[in-house]
Amino acid sequence: MRVLDYEIPDKLYYSKEHEWVQIEGNEAVVGITDYAQKQLHEIVYVEVQKIGSNIEQFQTMGTVESVKSVSDLFAPVSGKITKINQELAESPELLNQDPYGKGWLARISLADLRKDLKKLLTSKQYADFIKEIEE
Amino acid sequence: MGKQLKKTHLHEFHKKTAKMTEFAGFEMPLWYRGIIPEHMAVRNTVGIFDITHMGRALITGAKSEAFLNYVTTNDVTALSPLSAHYSNICNEQGGIKDDFVLSRLEQEKFLIVYNAANRTKDYEWLVKHATPFNVKVEDVSDNIAMFAVQGPNAQKTLQKIADLDLSKIERFKCGWTKLIGVECFVSRTGYTGEDGFEVFVWNTPLTNPANAVKVWNAILEAGRELGIEPCGLGARDTLRLEAGMCLYGNDIDETTTPLEAGLGFVVKLKKDSFIGKEALTKQKVEGIKRKRVGLTMMKKGPSPRPNYEVWKGNEKIGHITSGTFSPILERGIAMAYVSVQHATEGNILTVKIRDKLAEAQIVKFPFYDPTKYGHARLK
Repeated sequence: MRVLDYEIPDKLYYSKEHEWVQIEGNEAVVGITDYAQKQLHEIVYVEVQKIGSNIEQFQTMGTVESVKSVSDLFAPVSGKITKINQELAESPELLNQDPYGKGWLARISLADLRKDLKKLLTSKQYADFIKEIEE
Repeated sequence: MGKQLKKTHLHEFHKKTAKMTEFAGFEMPLWYRGIIPEHMAVRNTVGIFDITHMGRALITGAKSEAFLNYVTTNDVTALSPLSAHYSNICNEQGGIKDDFVLSRLEQEKFLIVYNAANRTKDYEWLVKHATPFNVKVEDVSDNIAMFAVQGPNAQKTLQKIADLDLSKIERFKCGWTKLIGVECFVSRTGYTGEDGFEVFVWNTPLTNPANAVKVWNAILEAGRELGIEPCGLGARDTLRLEAGMCLYGNDIDETTTPLEAGLGFVVKLKKDSFIGKEALTKQKVEGIKRKRVGLTMMKKGPSPRPNYEVWKGNEKIGHITSGTFSPILERGIAMAYVSVQHATEGNILTVKIRDKLAEAQIVKFPFYDPTKYGHARLK
């Protein structure tokens, strides 16, 4: 769905830190939302923790830099990083151009999806959250 | 939120077209299309900035030259009418109270343009020291709109709407011209490293912004086929940093001296008494302990940012005061203060970026190749 100026795909889960989660069996692909990339604007550097790192839901999992700012990336789920998007090292602008596709950040082997899901938002809930903060 | 931010004459335009930000009590455009395209427009074609937030004061009187020689560090006697120079105001300890551009309008009339954040401080300092000289200091900030038109196509753009031959105004010279019929003062100065002008739309109070809006729109229209972009404070900062110019409050403040900041060229110690002279003379004789340097990251990667530590081997030798991603070099650049024994061009240092150390090399300003970019580029 599209809310205000922001794309919010239906089948994903979202965090209030503006990360998205796509569940694929025991793994999840994560990234930042369209809202996040539009707020950050002109992303020039992305850094995600190494493959094999254990991450905790809502703890730092990396850093994203725009021309003017440095922001933490927060893990939307707990688990172990199994893959990171290597293309982002050369082309961090993929986060701006295609936040739900080529701009994915990492693949995570899930530790406890059921527990994590309780603290994530559905697309509908995230859309309401965006409307709230934009008003 | 809550507190009332000041607005410029162009507020309606900015609000409709830009991402806005708070700066020095003003609501200002941060970017319109984006920092990078705006930055590149100024380097390659032309950009226009609303810089009405800056402070402006007129100084008039028979002894205005003597007064300015006393309160500022540069040689005001050497400044001929319709010329401008960069200068500093220092405190008694030689610390920089502000940096600014001073224009001599007439033999006994000057225009000083200082930082937005220092508007009140500077005005009060000038007024306080003006009494013995019997000069008038008049804050005209709210009666003059100010735009910067910067980039290799700046002159071509402005010439389309100017009645004065702008090619006659050399760098750091000024003149009066009508722009689209509106009386303006223009100086060939700027804060980007590029050729360009700063345009002062005279007698345009904030309460009656029509002439300022008219000139702004006419410049945008004139520059359309020359690649003009309206530019915000984001690009203003990346441009000045690439050019190696200081930002007050980051790279210089009352605890840094012009000698440490590499601004010795605006301190004329041979002048008669001026505020800060004794302290600066002493520092010149004894030598400085730290120095402002430019750092370019050796590799693409994270950018250095203010307050990051700078190391040489196992020794912490300084810290970053400004840092950003450079759109021209496509990597991080920074200004830092480091111990003078390490402040040698070519020296490789490390910057602590979060938990990692990244190599950076001391380079001379500007950061870009001056034969390709900037006002001295080869045509």
